[in-house]
Amino acid sequence: MTLPEDRTARILKELASHEDDHTGTLVLCEVAAEITGASGASIMLLSEDVARGSLCTTDGVAVYLDDLQFALGEGPSLDAHASGEPVIEPDLATPSVTRWPALAPSAVRAGIRAVFAFPLRIGAVRLGAVTLFRDAPGALDDTQYADALAVAVVAARTILTLQADAPPGSVAAELEEGANFHFVVHQAAGMVSIQLNMSVTEALVRLRAHAFLSDRSIDDISRDVVDRRLRLDAERPGGMGGGTTPTTDG
Amino acid sequence: MTREALLVRTLVELADNLVDDFDVIDVLTVLSDRCVEVLDVDSAGVMLVAPGGELQVVASSSDAMRGLELFELQTNEGPCVDCFISGKPIVNLELTALDDRWPRFAHRAVADGFHSVHALPMHLRSVTVGALNMFRVAAGSLHEEDVLVAQALADVATIAIIQHRSSVSAAVLNSQLSEALNSRIIIEQAKGKVSEASGLDMERSFQRIRNHARNHNLRLTELARGIAEGTTSIVGLDPLPRSPGVRAISSNPWSGPQQRPTPQEPSA
Repeated sequence: MTLPEDRTARILKELASHEDDHTGTLVLCEVAAEITGASGASIMLLSEDVARGSLCTTDGVAVYLDDLQFALGEGPSLDAHASGEPVIEPDLATPSVTRWPALAPSAVRAGIRAVFAFPLRIGAVRLGAVTLFRDAPGALDDTQYADALAVAVVAARTILTLQADAPPGSVAAELEEGANFHFVVHQAAGMVSIQLNMSVTEALVRLRAHAFLSDRSIDDISRDVVDRRLRLDAERPGGMGGGTTPTTDG
Repeated sequence: MTREALLVRTLVELADNLVDDFDVIDVLTVLSDRCVEVLDVDSAGVMLVAPGGELQVVASSSDAMRGLELFELQTNEGPCVDCFISGKPIVNLELTALDDRWPRFAHRAVADGFHSVHALPMHLRSVTVGALNMFRVAAGSLHEEDVLVAQALADVATIAIIQHRSSVSAAVLNSQLSEALNSRIIIEQAKGKVSEASGLDMERSFQRIRNHARNHNLRLTELARGIAEGTTSIVGLDPLPRSPGVRAISSNPWSGPQQRPTPQEPSA
């Protein structure tokens, strides 16, 4: 077992060294998980309470959790962002308050037993959330909680500092590296909106429903649409689908 | 308070100071005070580069330290000056042995009772904004871990300073980030619609949108928004000029009604 001060020194060192390398924001996620004894972590960007995507994820479980939140539009990261307060669920399988009815069962099946989300905020400005999870139920202790708050503030400030150097109108390269903003989902939504003659927003809902019902990630579904292996009009006889023409919105 | 707790408190304290209207001097005073509390050093101070390019003493944990730092600037020699110029850390230099390097500074520092000096750069990527000085009364080396911790604390403070100097508020930066992401998303949605409607792949769909925007002096994001929201006709977009080696997707696994290349599309 390492001494506590070794741990803190290592964490601070990792945060510091991050500023010099070019591995995107992954170090922030790793530090967040390590400092709090979590199994994994993610940092999600949100705007107007809509998930934009993940800046970084420590592992496949973190990717799964964020994809679920993106596809379902509910979860701890969204709640922390919306409320501006930490969202704590030490026992996701048998919670004291039922929330996230669509997300919780899938997350528990994936081995996520506790989740803790901390808003990325600087004053009144909110960027998203740092979300930690554990493979066993249990609360964060006081030190871990304080550490998570500190990491969230440093992460928020780091994200904005990186963005400050980006050319006008673009996302900083460091923020895009390792991030998943689900661009393929938006491409697929554009295609589906033509296929089903509906708005892009409605097409996004359709893609989300399809992902949920088929128990596949919305990115996978969308990739199939973009690669023309899947059409959402072809699968719903008598539904909203059917013929579309390239000129419907012309 | 344990050292661990003190370090975390310092990090939180520095982070808490990173709000919109913080005082740079407050942040750097916290930094130099905590270095003395947490690390095995007797005095600490921070120099920052001013907009004109000259170094200034901004914070010091003691009057003796401040006097010595000012002396460094007057004589233009010493660890902080060298560290700032090189951007590299200077650690564990015994002062009595340094008479060749900084003859005037070493003489004065030893007279003030300091026998070992350390200076760490305050930088983010290639930009060096200043240096953190740490002086010890006793000779001998600073623990390697202390150096790492000091550099980490300095880096957190540096983020605050660079942010402050950019004079762009967190709210503005956040909305720029959000707008940039929104633009990307709208462009991807427009690409998807053009791709489905005209049978082009995503790359060629993007080229077609960009080409039309250029031809008509439209902003790419505005054109993409019109396409994504359905207010701009896709068939009305200028066709792509023929480009050898790149062709439209000419067939589709579905024989449904969707595949109807418009006449102006380049054919395979």
